[in-house]
Amino acid sequence: MTMDASAPVRGPHRLGGAARFALWSRRLGWRHAVMWLVVAFAIFPVLFVVSAALNPLGTLSSAQLWPTGASLDNAVELFENTPFTTWYGNSLFFALSNATVTVLLSALAAYAFSRMRFKGRRVGLIGLLVIQMFPQFLAIVAIYLMFSNIGEYYPAIGFDTRWGLLLVYLGGALSINTWLMKGFFDTVPKELDESAQMDGASHAQVFFRIMLPLVTPVLAIVGLLVFISTINEFLMASVFLRDTDAKTLGLGLYQLVASQRNANFGMFAVGAVMLSLPTLAVFWFLQRYITEGLTSGAVKG
Amino acid sequence: MRFRSAPAATGIAAIVLMATACGGGGGDEGGETAAEDTLVIWSDPERADAIQGAAEEFAEANGITVDVQGLAFDDIQGDLLNAHQAGNAPDVFIGAHDWTGNLVRNGAVQPVELPEDRAAGVEETALEALSFDGRLFGVPYSQENIFLMRNTELVPDAPETFEELVEIGTELKEEGETSEVLAMAVGQEGEPFRMNALFTSAGGYLFGQDDTGTWDPSDLGVGSDESIAAMEKIAEYGEAGEGVLRRSIDTENDAVLFYEEDAPFFIAGPWNIGDANESGVDYGISPIPGFEEGGPASPYIGYHAFFVTEGSSNSALAQEFVTNYVTDPDFILSLYEADPRTPVQTEALESVSADDPNIAAIAEAGADGMPMPSIPEMGETWEPLGQAQAQALAGEDVREAMEAAHNTIAEQIGG
Amino acid sequence: MTVDTDSAGAPRKGAPARPPLPGGRFTGDGSIGGRLLKIALLGLFTALGVWAVLPLYVAGNWWGIGLVVAVVALVYWVYLSGRTVPAKYLLPGVLFLTAFQILPVLYTMSTSVTNLSDGHRGDKEQAIAAIEAFSVTRDPDSPEYVLTVATTGDPATGELAFLLTDGRGNAHVGTDEGLHDLPRAEIDPSSGKVTEAFGYTILTPTEVNARSDELQEFAVPTDSGAGIRSSGLSSAFEGSATRVYDEDCDCVTDTESGVVYHADDERGAFYSEEGQRLAQGWQVGVGLDNFGRFLLNPTFASSFFSILLWNIAFAASVTFLVFVVGLAVALTLHVPRLRGKTFYRILVVLPYAMSSLAMYLLWRDMFNTDFGLFNRMLGLQVDWLGDAWSARTAVILANVWLGYPYMFLVATGALQAIPRELGQAAQIDGAGPWQAFRHVTLPLLMVAMTPILIATFAFNFNNFNAVWLISRGGPFSPENPTAGATDLLITYTYRLAFNEATAQYGYAAALSVMIFLIVSVISVVSLSRSKALQEVDR
Repeated sequence: MTMDASAPVRGPHRLGGAARFALWSRRLGWRHAVMWLVVAFAIFPVLFVVSAALNPLGTLSSAQLWPTGASLDNAVELFENTPFTTWYGNSLFFALSNATVTVLLSALAAYAFSRMRFKGRRVGLIGLLVIQMFPQFLAIVAIYLMFSNIGEYYPAIGFDTRWGLLLVYLGGALSINTWLMKGFFDTVPKELDESAQMDGASHAQVFFRIMLPLVTPVLAIVGLLVFISTINEFLMASVFLRDTDAKTLGLGLYQLVASQRNANFGMFAVGAVMLSLPTLAVFWFLQRYITEGLTSGAVKG
Repeated sequence: MRFRSAPAATGIAAIVLMATACGGGGGDEGGETAAEDTLVIWSDPERADAIQGAAEEFAEANGITVDVQGLAFDDIQGDLLNAHQAGNAPDVFIGAHDWTGNLVRNGAVQPVELPEDRAAGVEETALEALSFDGRLFGVPYSQENIFLMRNTELVPDAPETFEELVEIGTELKEEGETSEVLAMAVGQEGEPFRMNALFTSAGGYLFGQDDTGTWDPSDLGVGSDESIAAMEKIAEYGEAGEGVLRRSIDTENDAVLFYEEDAPFFIAGPWNIGDANESGVDYGISPIPGFEEGGPASPYIGYHAFFVTEGSSNSALAQEFVTNYVTDPDFILSLYEADPRTPVQTEALESVSADDPNIAAIAEAGADGMPMPSIPEMGETWEPLGQAQAQALAGEDVREAMEAAHNTIAEQIGG
Repeated sequence: MTVDTDSAGAPRKGAPARPPLPGGRFTGDGSIGGRLLKIALLGLFTALGVWAVLPLYVAGNWWGIGLVVAVVALVYWVYLSGRTVPAKYLLPGVLFLTAFQILPVLYTMSTSVTNLSDGHRGDKEQAIAAIEAFSVTRDPDSPEYVLTVATTGDPATGELAFLLTDGRGNAHVGTDEGLHDLPRAEIDPSSGKVTEAFGYTILTPTEVNARSDELQEFAVPTDSGAGIRSSGLSSAFEGSATRVYDEDCDCVTDTESGVVYHADDERGAFYSEEGQRLAQGWQVGVGLDNFGRFLLNPTFASSFFSILLWNIAFAASVTFLVFVVGLAVALTLHVPRLRGKTFYRILVVLPYAMSSLAMYLLWRDMFNTDFGLFNRMLGLQVDWLGDAWSARTAVILANVWLGYPYMFLVATGALQAIPRELGQAAQIDGAGPWQAFRHVTLPLLMVAMTPILIATFAFNFNNFNAVWLISRGGPFSPENPTAGATDLLITYTYRLAFNEATAQYGYAAALSVMIFLIVSVISVVSLSRSKALQEVDR
């Protein structure tokens, strides 16, 4: 990635300073201005969370940006009183494994929906959309009954296990993400895989060798979306993870503020900031795939 | 375009492996915890370690292991009922006394029989609060109630009446010492839990009580003339009146107002003590004052108790734990050290009060308190009543708001 | 940004000439390696099936075994038959979807015709057992004993005997035949427990605990008709059950008050003549009563339609605004050379990376009348969350902030699929940048974005936290305390069905089924009118 070297506009070297600025502002300058506005809109609430993280009195409020006494008390407390690193590791485990498997399962299904015509295709696609609309908190009773039974026969995937929770997460692997992927697969010209099949490639070869590399951006996007939603998830996690050491950070944080009368917003804010870091790291890592994936030639086919 | 997924996939795989490795250990044996001779206890995360430590001795003496699992306190009741329905509940759990009615009607808890000498050591009102139909269902260990916290630098002496409190606070506000009279959380949705002290002092009531103190859900008092008159009196201090009680003060900012010395008075709870000490404000604790011509202000008292789950496969040990161990002063003291709450066991309370004057002051502030009604119908009152109280303070018609709340509650409880 | 356009075209047509890819190992059908891998994976799956069957076989659960065998057979058929190519790709995801989404949802829907709720969770036997067990009261003035549990036989199976020490230090033995003196017993003076008794094996705590279920049933009969029951490991008391179930009349009799409670299998509880019910009930089918309960309620009908209207408006405006903001940001950054693009991207995505729980709480605080950021900064005294329209604005604003990064991400990805040359070509043909965007880029973009927009709409339609954590559905008017100005159908459902302590699952399921039908119809209709579904039909 050498984008910084190539900017700003190099061409108009011979122009005078003012003209060069005018050209720059017409082409790129306004973009910077807009982006500064958007960035301001994006981060100002986040600054208050950072402020709360530093404020030794555990409150989360927008009354003051500058905390009364900045200190790392909250962070120290969070590290000392909770198995923070274990929680962090658990969160990463769920987010990464769910994102990886979901991307694979979803891409497989999207390939079928995009490239094949079969009975039930339309129903399947609409069904995927519609099933998401049932409120999840109601299904908790069913999940309880189901995993109590499962746990009786297979303790390894019952309650209080990470595998059980991962299974439930994978139940959501086919979702609107599959739609997103299918839309992207559709933009890859059919001629490409047809000619490969003429050359004797199997459908699996077409999928793994031709399609997947061409849809890298959407794989990265879906991976990121699943990563974010998993790392922030706490409703299902609270049903499954009871042992202190098995919890995810999202769940641990939720439990810090769940009790109305005993909320500790200071530690919560520290955790929230820490939890956003891997997300940003993953985004930073993936963004090159998101923006560089399909080049302009693809649609021409 | 070069295919860049290869390093990406490798990177992801590496991180997954690493995460599995660091997170490992705990999860794999997780499934075995349901084994016999392990007493599973649910607690809130704050007390989980303390209970684990204190129960270790019990476990050793009886040749078993104890596994304390942490859930958010407010989630325990709902999760327990779901788990119990699915046959996956813990053996013992910690809960609030006002859950008793609902737990009993779901058949989720076992009755407990305390030996006489054990029962004698515990406050009688606490045992009554955990009883349903005359049977004890949980063993109380601590209590909590709200109280008045004042900035002793600004207000050396505790006010005797609410009128006096407002007078002192207003004076300080006019002098520019503070910007608020009183930090009492109301919020957009109302806070009936905190409001109850003033509400009872002004003569309002929620449910009627018979001679033995049993709550009568068919006698709902929200829309009664007494309750409406009480809210009208309180509303005089609301946004349309003195402006002391306002919806903009809520549980997120009430404490800050006091810690930053913007408010000389604060309706606080035991959970605020830790931060109050850290804030450096000199504070004093006293009972919430009632109205001059009203009755005593009764804050709600909440008891925390240990319950035994019905259908527990370890019920003999679980019963033994709650009857003979939870009532033991040493156990209560070790829990107190982890999470300072006012014990209800007389001996433990005395020993704690001697060391910590706050505990004694909080207990005194709760002397006029009333245990929160533990009948299931109570759960239906919070939201409608809170709304009505918030509307009353906002300056809306009190009678209309209270009667609407009354009808909503009555409809929900089918009374 | 350097894009490897030079190598872009080359490897595409000649896929086999590529260097081995990470996916190459899975290539399946075509190659020998693929075939071997397929066999290995099927073998692994079979092993998993065997592992799954074993505990079921031990427990004799034939239904479970049938299910496992069916799933394994399905997998074999799909992957060995040549006619099931689409299924080969769909099956893994669909299996998870069916097991952990569709089945729980179907179960939940099925509870909409039952009275599943607090007080009606278990079956009738459980309710009866609880009623009887909970009515055991200690007889006043009866003696209290220190208990030692013993047996005359094997510790695990032998007949139970209670060795009881009374207040005076005398030992007795109680079996299911009655209470007798136990003269030759050694008693620990401090605890009062019997440490040794001739003819009896004293059980250790774990041995007693292993027989917990028996112990709960066990009572030593006494003359008064009551029984001596255990309480824990070391105490016993004399008490009797005051409520007894009689199968013949299907009723419970309270022996103290003489009131008879008859089982009502329609309502799932015991009722007395006067209509008093016992607290413990059971789950019964109630047909369409749950639906009738809200459909026939006049206040429900009026609040329902105003809530539905706002709900649609909320979901539509949030979806529209996040789309506009997200797309605008994506377009602003969609130029080849822009310094600090990565920096901007990361900061723009920040709202999405933050825990939404924290952000909702913060936004709620920013709208506080006296202390909130907005009023302080703008010098206003607006009662944001106290007035219907400002509360609605507040809720929408907060959700746009939380939601636009998602649209930004998706739009950024979708824009990559649209060749920039297309727009440029249009501009050369004389169209302005806006026209070029409007007529060339946007239509192409919409093909990929429409399903996402519909999904965003559906997500926001049911976005519980979005409203609950900011306004709790409020503000409420005194005329109608159950329906607030910002209530969505889902928060309204939650308030009606889960009021703090009482969970009415059956009722909530009925409400959800209706909402589910409404949302599904809206989505399917809007989908079928869009290009996206023409795509589907193609």
